[in-house]
Amino acid sequence: MNAILAIATKDLRLMFRDKGEVFFTFFFPMILATFFGFIFGGGPDGGSKIDVALVVESDSTLAQGITKDLLADTSFEVTQVERRELAEDLVRAGKVTAAIVLPASMQDGITGLFGGGGIPIEAIVDPSRRAEVGLIQGKLNELAFRQLSKVFANTESMAQLAKGARQSLASASNLSPGQKLAASALITAGESFSSSIAQGNVKEGETNSSESESAEAPWSPVAIKIEELASREGGPRDAFDISFPQGIVWGLAGCVMAFATSLVSERMRGTLDRLRLAPITRGQLLAGKGLACFVTAFLVQVVLLALAVIAFGSSVQQPLLLLVAFLATAFAFSGLSMLIAGACRTEAQAQGAGRGALLMLAMIGGGTIPLFLMPPFFKTVSMASPFRWAVSAIEGPFWRDTPFAEQVLPLCILIAVGIVGLLVGVRATRSVSR
Amino acid sequence: MLTLRDICKTYGSITAVDALSLEVRAGEIFGLLGPNGAGKSTTIAIATGLVAPTSGVVDLLSLGSPSQASVRRHLGLAPQEITLYGELTARENLLFFASLYGVANAAARVDSLLQLVELDARAKSRVSTFSGGMKRRLNLAAALVHDPQLLLLDEPTAGVDPQSRNRILELVRTLAAQGKTIVYTTHYMEEAARICHRVAIVDHGRLLDVGTPNELIARHGGSSVVVVIRGDAELRVVTVDPAGEVARQLSSGGVTGIRVEQPDLEAVFLKLTGRSLRE
Repeated sequence: MNAILAIATKDLRLMFRDKGEVFFTFFFPMILATFFGFIFGGGPDGGSKIDVALVVESDSTLAQGITKDLLADTSFEVTQVERRELAEDLVRAGKVTAAIVLPASMQDGITGLFGGGGIPIEAIVDPSRRAEVGLIQGKLNELAFRQLSKVFANTESMAQLAKGARQSLASASNLSPGQKLAASALITAGESFSSSIAQGNVKEGETNSSESESAEAPWSPVAIKIEELASREGGPRDAFDISFPQGIVWGLAGCVMAFATSLVSERMRGTLDRLRLAPITRGQLLAGKGLACFVTAFLVQVVLLALAVIAFGSSVQQPLLLLVAFLATAFAFSGLSMLIAGACRTEAQAQGAGRGALLMLAMIGGGTIPLFLMPPFFKTVSMASPFRWAVSAIEGPFWRDTPFAEQVLPLCILIAVGIVGLLVGVRATRSVSR
Repeated sequence: MLTLRDICKTYGSITAVDALSLEVRAGEIFGLLGPNGAGKSTTIAIATGLVAPTSGVVDLLSLGSPSQASVRRHLGLAPQEITLYGELTARENLLFFASLYGVANAAARVDSLLQLVELDARAKSRVSTFSGGMKRRLNLAAALVHDPQLLLLDEPTAGVDPQSRNRILELVRTLAAQGKTIVYTTHYMEEAARICHRVAIVDHGRLLDVGTPNELIARHGGSSVVVVIRGDAELRVVTVDPAGEVARQLSSGGVTGIRVEQPDLEAVFLKLTGRSLRE
């Protein structure tokens, strides 16, 4: 075991002292994942703006006013969609933080305010984006309250309402003359209040949102209904959920190549003879190299995941299962590395044929085009690539929240790849070491 | 110590080693002298167990074939190539090889070896920054890390400057004085003559003769030449008794200069193969 650890430590030391290998194993995948993440749809908040989808089901002036204000608001990046389902899909895909729906029940005038429980606004959000929900709620309140001043400032509408109220009051038989007098005074006061708001608007133009909020807050005539998506249905939260497993693919490819060539390099520079002279078995030699590859492959995955979580707000659905997936993936690619190491007799073979084959496997395995975007034929072809199973094994517990039963297949395939790779690698090493 | 009996090694139609038999005695520096391509390195590789012979028997310390790990651990090899990790330091390299052999107190052993090969001041420098001579010395130290009884040095002075060569030769002598048995391959006849107790001359994979340098010279070197100078005239006298010839020439008078040209291993090789070692 000491010999295995010694070989692994030595190989890791050599690997981390080779700036090129470190770059292609760790930094290149990070750059790739970040780049594709932004290309595919940007960060969780798109910088300082909140991405929202807007569905306007109401044809009321009130809805138009809110829409206009929402589009003009610098806090939001608004994508207008026609149907609620489309907006929900955008939320599920992580393209937007929330979908805002102005429902058909949103009506003009103030009747609805007092009779319908306030201006109805619906927000559909991703449960994983709760941190942003409070902000969205506050903003929607602000926008809705801005509309209130317009409603009350509409003197014609208010006069119609007062007229109707006075008619109702006159015909009321269950009120005493005193009560009717008091109610009439209240209606007159309302008309006067509406008139004063209208005059104020003329004088001051746009109402400052913070002032309106503080002045109108006691009313609370806005009914914002927050709805969380019931099920993720396998959709990624954002583009980084897709791009980081892709980055891991490239990291694993770099890792495999670094260690696949290490045995060939040992052979070329003669150090393999020293290793073979030492009282260690061929299995120990391969195990040492495999262990170094395993550690690096595991590290690549952890580092990329950490970057996704820390820098891009990704969250892990099933941490324990993800750990298992990382271990299985690291094992599979250690085996693959040993297979290439054993099969290639020269550095040129390892660098050329080995790298070419790996790149091909990485490409069809989801390294360039995410699996779910692949045409059906390529999805089938991708099954031949261990990278595809690594992506499946990682995505499941990372963002798909896949049940364990569905995770078993990719995990078993990865472990099988690892075992076959190691066995074939040992056998191939035996044949070329003589 | 090391016995090779009727060793043959063929690669397709090429015969690298042809019915070669040798016996290396404990405590000696045994030279394998031959030109490049003579089969020296293949013989060394067979002796270490790295290459299996096509036929023949190798025995180390009467323990059996060095193809067995338990037998192999009694020998150390400094191959002709620099078989070290350039990106590791001198100390890291030796510690790594020590760990493969499970050397007890490896750090102390490595430090003493670095002192022995005079690289202790560069212990923490990466090997890639070393000169050729320094790499050669470290290559030798790596073969010694597990304190083997038999040391196989394959062209240990190849490509080094004269100063480094002298240091390496002195080092080999020091190791022999400490009781190591050394097999030393070279195509420099003066090195073999200088440090080897016995020399085997090989060419085309065949052993041509083996013996002490003096024995080989006596057997194959031919006569000495006494060069006598009288004024502007130079006389070359071929003789098997150079001392007697010198005495005779001096007693005959008029000698203004005299020197003796002794046969060497180069002459032995020329006699045995009909060509020079460096051809």
